[in-house]
Amino acid sequence: MKPREETISVGGVSVHAWVGGQGDPLVVLHGAGGNRGFTRWMHEVARHYTVWAPTHPGFGRSGDAEWMEGIDDLARFHLWFIDTAKLGRPHVLGHSIGGWTAATMATMSPGAIDRLILVAPVGLKPEKGEILDVFYHSPAELRDLTIHDPKMIPEWDELYGTPPTPAELEIAERNREMTARLTWKPYMHDPTLERFLPRVTNRTLVVWGREDRIVPVVCGEQYRRALPNASLTVLEKCGHLPPIEQPDQFAHLVLDFLGGAA
Amino acid sequence: MKLYYFSEMPHHEYPDAEGDKYPSLRLGFPNRFFDREKAAANYQRYLTEYELADRVGFDGLMINEHHSTPSCVNVGANMTAAVLARTTKRAKLLILGNILPIEDNPVRMAEQIAMADLISGGRVLSGFVRGVGVETWWANANPVHNRERFEECHDLILKCWTEPGPFRWESRHYHFRHVNPWCLPLQKPHPPIWVPGTASPETAVWAGQRGYTYVPFLVPFDVARELFDYYRQGAAEAGRTVTPDNLGFLICAVTADTKAKALEAGRHFVWRMGPTLRGPVDWFQPVGMRSRGARQFAMKARPRSLAQMSYDELCAENFIIAGTADEVAERFALVRRELGIGHLLLEAQESRMDHPTTMRSIELMGASVIPAVAKL
Repeated sequence: MKPREETISVGGVSVHAWVGGQGDPLVVLHGAGGNRGFTRWMHEVARHYTVWAPTHPGFGRSGDAEWMEGIDDLARFHLWFIDTAKLGRPHVLGHSIGGWTAATMATMSPGAIDRLILVAPVGLKPEKGEILDVFYHSPAELRDLTIHDPKMIPEWDELYGTPPTPAELEIAERNREMTARLTWKPYMHDPTLERFLPRVTNRTLVVWGREDRIVPVVCGEQYRRALPNASLTVLEKCGHLPPIEQPDQFAHLVLDFLGGAA
Repeated sequence: MKLYYFSEMPHHEYPDAEGDKYPSLRLGFPNRFFDREKAAANYQRYLTEYELADRVGFDGLMINEHHSTPSCVNVGANMTAAVLARTTKRAKLLILGNILPIEDNPVRMAEQIAMADLISGGRVLSGFVRGVGVETWWANANPVHNRERFEECHDLILKCWTEPGPFRWESRHYHFRHVNPWCLPLQKPHPPIWVPGTASPETAVWAGQRGYTYVPFLVPFDVARELFDYYRQGAAEAGRTVTPDNLGFLICAVTADTKAKALEAGRHFVWRMGPTLRGPVDWFQPVGMRSRGARQFAMKARPRSLAQMSYDELCAENFIIAGTADEVAERFALVRRELGIGHLLLEAQESRMDHPTTMRSIELMGASVIPAVAKL
């Protein structure tokens, strides 16, 4: 299955998206590293769902949105994206800052979303430990901290095997800038999010890697407690990138959750 | 040409081997190595040196500000300006400068600069800077807003000084509903404004448009000339004529009774070229702080960092000028000829350069260098 690319204008900002698969729509919101397109787990999930993977404004090949102040803005924007792309009431899956965005979207408009999957989302201040200051580290250091064991990554060569081109480096820098714009202060969390999470009665799956060195696993427990209808799955020997580090197990988790009884 | 005396007020009071254990002397080098007693004595010493510089005839005393670093423990430029406003008589007080993007209350800043100007009898030259990344971390200010906040903060300070209050101010980053400072500068309409530069063409153009005095810091002559061209471009856009009074330059300089002594003292400047600038690039230039244009210019402007240069090379390229009084006066004249500047800022004390050496250098500058340079 080869995904197609679409560009959709939302509020005057052009949004680049990868789209592919068949079945009910599943919106996938990427993390700070940017939109990697259709990786292995998405191909698997796209056999049963139509996967929509938009690139956040300010990232990758989407347009600029220097006016945005934080994740609330990005959440309102993606709710608007769902309307504009006429996706009805999709499932939403978000990873890291995409997970924070997805959770925020659900607090704003729970009825606009079917089921919710949060993968190592930032957004809550950890009860113990700290969210790693990603801007304090070089991109190379950060990659090492993000992944538990590079040898376990089946797509290593495709994703990390060749040195980035100048154009890719420019996009990576732009992605980091937009991440800073959205998450600098309060750093990677919203002090009021926890207050609104009880509104989200949507069935929710929270997924975490046991060895996550970016966002402490305790945050997964905090999300599970605050959300009325959530379960938490912690993957062993996995870092901050479950969809990349354990794509097959991750795809099965997603399919099991979305295919399960309401 | 006018000469300015400048000390970063360093705190090089720890074993170097301890500093070497950390990725940088800035941000992460633990402050348990800050020696309170030595710092108390050093502040007295550094202020005494500034006061001598005033008495021997320096045209100005330059004051700067940094945070979380032993390279500069002058953590309040306006505070130092206020002290020197009382203890000096004649020299301009060049605050270069206040770090605008990390300031949350530009109204208070406008008041503080105004108060220093009033106490000093109108001697303040008010420099505004964007700061290095370390200060952005220190203040936890979002680096992607650095230029916007610099310009908004500047605009609000200028409005405080030039427009009658009360007024309301609402911009993207600053919101004040009742602005009415009861402290305005003695100089009318306001103290002259200075802006330093190292690599940002936008800053040079911006300063040129406004006719501010523009001062590149420790860059090669050809880079300084290129930045001055950007400045002239901005000035031309605004229909302004550029004179030497608009242009300055900063170098390190020391003199002594013999060339050998001066060269020995000059070695202390190497500390500020390498060790104190060592550290991860993301600490000095956090993401988004520099525009793409400035990043490209910076890479072109410094094919070799100062840290990679030997002491002899730093002297040969005039980043450091150390010699007898006649020799340094000659070199200063060369800088003037090369760059056409009206202001030469001397970083004149560094690292562990001791008090007697610093005082003697200031005396010798006053006795013969300043009179010679004044004629240029």
